[in-house]
Amino acid sequence: MSQLEDILPLSPLQQGLFFHALFDEAAPDVYTAQLVLELEGPLDVPALRSAVAALLRRHANLRASFRQRTNGEPVQLVHRRVEVPWREVATADAAGVAAEERARRFDLAAPPLMRFVLVRLAPGRHRLVFTNHHILLDGWSTPLLAAELFALYGGAEPPAAPPYKGYLAWLARQDHAAATAAWGRALHGIAGPTLVVPDLAGRPPADPGRVRAHLSEDLTGRLTAVLRARSLTLNTVIQGSWALLLALLTGRDDVVFGGTVSGRPPELPGVERMVGLFINTVPVRVRIDPAETLAGLLGRVQAEQSDLFAHHHLGLAEIQRLPGLGPLFDTMTVLENYPLDAAALGSAGAGPGAEGSLRLAGSSGTDATHYPLALAVVPGGRLSLRLDHRPDVIPRADAIRLLNRLTRLLKTVAADPDRPLARLDLLSADERAHVLHDWNDATTPSPSSVLSPVPAPSPVSSATAPASSAPVAVPPSAPVAISPSAPAPPLALPAPPPAATITAAFAEQVARTPDAEAVVSGATSLTYAELNGRANLLAHRLIGLGVRAETPVAVLLERSADVVVATLAIAKAGGAYVPVHHGHPADRMSWVMADTGAPVLVTDRDPGFGHAAEVIRLDGGTPDHPREEAEAGAVPRDDPHGDPRVGTHPDQLAYVIYTSGSTGRPKGVAVRHRDVLALVSDRRWADGHRRLLMHSPHAFDASTYEIWVPLLNGGTVVVAPPGELDPATIDALVAGHRLTALFITTALFNLVAEEDPGAFAGLREVLTGGEAASPEAMRRVREACPDTVLGHVYGPTEATTYATYHRVSRVDSAAPPIGRAMDGMRAYVLDGLLRPVPPGAPGELYLAGSGLARGYRGRPGLTAERFVACPYGGRMYRTGDLVRWSAGGELEYLGRTDHQVKIRGFRIEPGEVEAALSRHPEVAQVSVLARDNRLVAYTVGTAAPEELRLFAARTLPEYMVPSSVVPLDALPLTPNGKVDRAALPEPDVAVSSRGPRTPAEELLCRLFAQVLGLERVGVDDGFFDLGGDSISVIRLVSRARQEGMTITPREVFARQTVEALAGDGRPDARSGPEADAGGLEVLLPLRAGGSRPPLFCVHPGAGLGWPYSGLLRHLGPDQPLYTFQARALSEPGYTAPSIEAMALDYLDRLREVQPRGPYRLAGWSMGGLIAHAMGVELRARGEEVALLALLDAYPGEKIDSGGREALPGLLAAAGYEGPEEMGKVLEFVHGQNGRYATLDEQTLLAVYRNYRNGVKISQEHVPRRFDGDVLLVIAAHGREADILTAADWKPYVTGTIEEHTVACDHEAMLNPEPIAEIAALLRKELT
Amino acid sequence: MSNPFENADGVYLALINDEGQYSLWPSWAEVPAGWTVAFGEDTRQACLDHIEANWTDMRPKSLIRAMGE
Repeated sequence: MSQLEDILPLSPLQQGLFFHALFDEAAPDVYTAQLVLELEGPLDVPALRSAVAALLRRHANLRASFRQRTNGEPVQLVHRRVEVPWREVATADAAGVAAEERARRFDLAAPPLMRFVLVRLAPGRHRLVFTNHHILLDGWSTPLLAAELFALYGGAEPPAAPPYKGYLAWLARQDHAAATAAWGRALHGIAGPTLVVPDLAGRPPADPGRVRAHLSEDLTGRLTAVLRARSLTLNTVIQGSWALLLALLTGRDDVVFGGTVSGRPPELPGVERMVGLFINTVPVRVRIDPAETLAGLLGRVQAEQSDLFAHHHLGLAEIQRLPGLGPLFDTMTVLENYPLDAAALGSAGAGPGAEGSLRLAGSSGTDATHYPLALAVVPGGRLSLRLDHRPDVIPRADAIRLLNRLTRLLKTVAADPDRPLARLDLLSADERAHVLHDWNDATTPSPSSVLSPVPAPSPVSSATAPASSAPVAVPPSAPVAISPSAPAPPLALPAPPPAATITAAFAEQVARTPDAEAVVSGATSLTYAELNGRANLLAHRLIGLGVRAETPVAVLLERSADVVVATLAIAKAGGAYVPVHHGHPADRMSWVMADTGAPVLVTDRDPGFGHAAEVIRLDGGTPDHPREEAEAGAVPRDDPHGDPRVGTHPDQLAYVIYTSGSTGRPKGVAVRHRDVLALVSDRRWADGHRRLLMHSPHAFDASTYEIWVPLLNGGTVVVAPPGELDPATIDALVAGHRLTALFITTALFNLVAEEDPGAFAGLREVLTGGEAASPEAMRRVREACPDTVLGHVYGPTEATTYATYHRVSRVDSAAPPIGRAMDGMRAYVLDGLLRPVPPGAPGELYLAGSGLARGYRGRPGLTAERFVACPYGGRMYRTGDLVRWSAGGELEYLGRTDHQVKIRGFRIEPGEVEAALSRHPEVAQVSVLARDNRLVAYTVGTAAPEELRLFAARTLPEYMVPSSVVPLDALPLTPNGKVDRAALPEPDVAVSSRGPRTPAEELLCRLFAQVLGLERVGVDDGFFDLGGDSISVIRLVSRARQEGMTITPREVFARQTVEALAGDGRPDARSGPEADAGGLEVLLPLRAGGSRPPLFCVHPGAGLGWPYSGLLRHLGPDQPLYTFQARALSEPGYTAPSIEAMALDYLDRLREVQPRGPYRLAGWSMGGLIAHAMGVELRARGEEVALLALLDAYPGEKIDSGGREALPGLLAAAGYEGPEEMGKVLEFVHGQNGRYATLDEQTLLAVYRNYRNGVKISQEHVPRRFDGDVLLVIAAHGREADILTAADWKPYVTGTIEEHTVACDHEAMLNPEPIAEIAALLRKELT
Repeated sequence: MSNPFENADGVYLALINDEGQYSLWPSWAEVPAGWTVAFGEDTRQACLDHIEANWTDMRPKSLIRAMGE
């Protein structure tokens, strides 16, 4: 006879447990359940053992073992006989035995999966330890089994319960399709799982901790009465309450958790007496509707759950597969309506208790789950709540807080079931006081200042210093309101009365310290009195042009002292300054001008974009001095330097700064004088913010801090030299200008931290912020500059630059917090029901109090959407930023609630980029998102990716142009019909690439990927094709050096791919005498491959062709690109006798690559002259020239007047900024300890000599007449208008001259923004 | 987390304060002190349309008075 009585399938929950047990065979199995019975009185041990044996005989399913068939399907094998799992021990340590039993795992293949240990404590005192695997029995079955056991012990033979097999047969009969459909409907449209511990996966299982609470009898009674009156079940109130807590905990308004259901189908006769595993855990989904009341929510939950009752038999795994989101929850609730107490057991059977000889004195059970949080509720006279938590992820204190919150919620249900959810307060009084008041009160010390080891006085302690040590411009009229030592205003009260304006505060400061240095820019230095005089002069002119209160005045100025003069002058005239960013495309600038309707534009150049404004040019005289000219008639003759004395109200606008708008057009944030003063008078600036660096673009709101914090506090604005800030410049400025503080964006901060973390030493304070901070970068800077305060700031433009501040002291692996609200400002973290959330819970950040802008200029609807009524007084701005309070009361940044992204510190609404791209006629659909700090556009339509990037570049600033455009057949949609952004594919930038084959290639692939923020890079991918630029070259080289590999920036320019950089062999194109020139060869292939006809670009005056590498990614992988470089670089001592000679020399090399025309030539600056000469010669030889592009090239006689030096631009492109004089260049390079040794000294010298010679031969050069058409691209900025026009070239060209301008100056032509435009022009000609 | 101000299907109010400033406001939320209902309940778009049409001078009333208009 077979040992097997039956082979049965598993029920769905059994399957789940089976696979869970397989998952980790070493750890204790959390599905080991235990019941300990306390037996008092004389015990017949053999009779009890026989009763156990009888149990196993009576219930076939208790004899089951579990195995997998070879096809993977699990089955339960019912054995005819199993050994009776019985053991007797005599010890006083029953608990030890029980623990040991729990720890001993069951082998699912070895039946029976249950064990009894009888512990003899003393004569007449026993413990029966009953341990089983959950796969056999559920919590309901255990007491049934215990009662049966004692009935058998007492000699009774209770009626046989229906066999478990019958239930399995019932399961098989169920309408599977209907159940699937019902669950599919119930979970439809769910956005994602509800996880309290999102990173739980991969952690080893842990034994749960447990906290308990009991409601009072009174409360239990009242709760029960309310539930009865409303026809609500206890299970419903538990589920509804848990949903509300979960929503608060996770910040979701659509939550899912596991709910335990009995799983015993009522239609099965005798089901209530069956023993086995019936129980199931099913997802309980609860949507929070803010408009509902508590009772409304509970009623709805009850109805939704009862609809699912008939479908509880479907396995959890199968249910969770329906929405396809992975595990949907990690918390669960169970209503334990099978109380395991002596009375229940006693009544369950005619046990020995009835005889009076053996008494069941008590019992205790252990039954656990693997979820981080599991709530069990036991009904009774006093409702009992038990919260199991995984202590490794949910500390006990948090579990207690959660249980307390649940208790408060149940009290509310009992007391006020009709309360609207929006008015439900789930916070304790303490929590509420902290998040609304204490942590918003600037006088409460924040942890960062308390813990700070920085020796300098902390911002908080300085607040108690005498006001004289903190010179802030305070008008006598309202000294208290903005005094640096004033505490923040009391909460929930309106902001203090109007205090001051920029103009009044500045006038006070001029009166106080007329001779103090106000602005320094290069060699120019202005005292407060001088600045005042200049600003007055300009203010009179503005008034003369009609500027009045709140008149917008556009400003387009290079960074200089003029920026400060003009900004102040506009304020003095009563107007609002509107800074325009010169790097933006002309279309965008025109749009801003039109949107503001600014009647006046203050600038230092020919604007180069369309507008209707009167122009005031400040570049007429000396660079830093407004030219007095025709309009001077508007200036009062008596005292042109006198204050115009325009009365200004603190609520008047000071400026309008434009920021990206999600609906497709930028929005102008309108900031008042009052707001600027609120920022300026923050106590944090009182110490150390004396000499501040001004380097941020005027059009970004950091300029508010950089200009007004020093100027209105008696300090000095130190204007940074032109170009991007880098560690070396910071070093030089800190020392040379005695800088005390500066703000830099996160991206630049991280670069400095990596390159030269000591650059900040000497500063009193560095502020950084704008994007998610790198703890590593902060740690490096803290270590390298222990005496410099590091301030982490956060703030949207709408809250006037900085809204919160955190003084960074210790830096651990977590991102540093963004701190607490600045003085006078209040930060609220609210949930979807506009209720404050407790510490630790995510919520949206709302900002209120002083410094809140007026709104968006001319956009009432948009303003009313974002600047909303504040429940705690006044208005509040909803930031769209997701944050949470730390336990210590610091705000921690978590992410965005919408799609807004930051790329290199620039705030971007993907909606605006989408709107720009969708204007292309061949784009049907588009979705834009950020991946790895790069903007990616997904498009449906026929437009080519490269074309779309160029199209976007015509209207969007460079940082808003997508790095990649991925064409798709269709955009993936969510079940709700929205674009499923999570399902959009990674852009495959390296699709055709081969992987690394050597350690060197491996290293370089990794470094390329790191530096460029890509997931992987292949050996054939070009560094510049992947988005590399001169800054990232430096990063790459320095990382490589750290890893022990020496490559130079020059090699990166020359070789570009991992394969070429790693290989010993030279690339094929290198041959001839300059084979070892390493990037200095006369003909340098920037990209040799590609099916299109090649483009040849000729070097500018300095002789290097590397800057043309910027064209590579814009022209596409199919476009071969070569550059000619001066022979003097590769052959020391060589001096080119003439432009013609250079042209002939290069033609020889040209024909090696492309023997016959048509040819395509381009040249920037002097390169244009050479390219032109080459074109002339080619035509003379009868060849065709399909393209001759002259990039801001001046024919002979104009060299002197217009010939800006190309060297600075070239050096900039190679990673340099700064001095133009060669001696200084060398000095600069030497001073950097080789950090910027892109060029060795010899090469630099050659560059310089070549440049000098170039100027000479250019002037001598008389162009001949080129037979053909010319594309002329003119740099619009930084020089006299009309210095170069098509007419200048007309004598030297027979055909037409197509003229274009780009919005940059001569040196910057091959910088990333203009080169994108130039590439667009070239590409049209190349196709 | 869905923001209470971004529910396209939600019911909203247009609130106004003493300074003539408007705020979109979910109808289920208590109207904060200092604000009154200027329009609604209605759809989000209708409330915004009302605000666009009526909030023509975005300066606060006290400023308009101070600027003497």
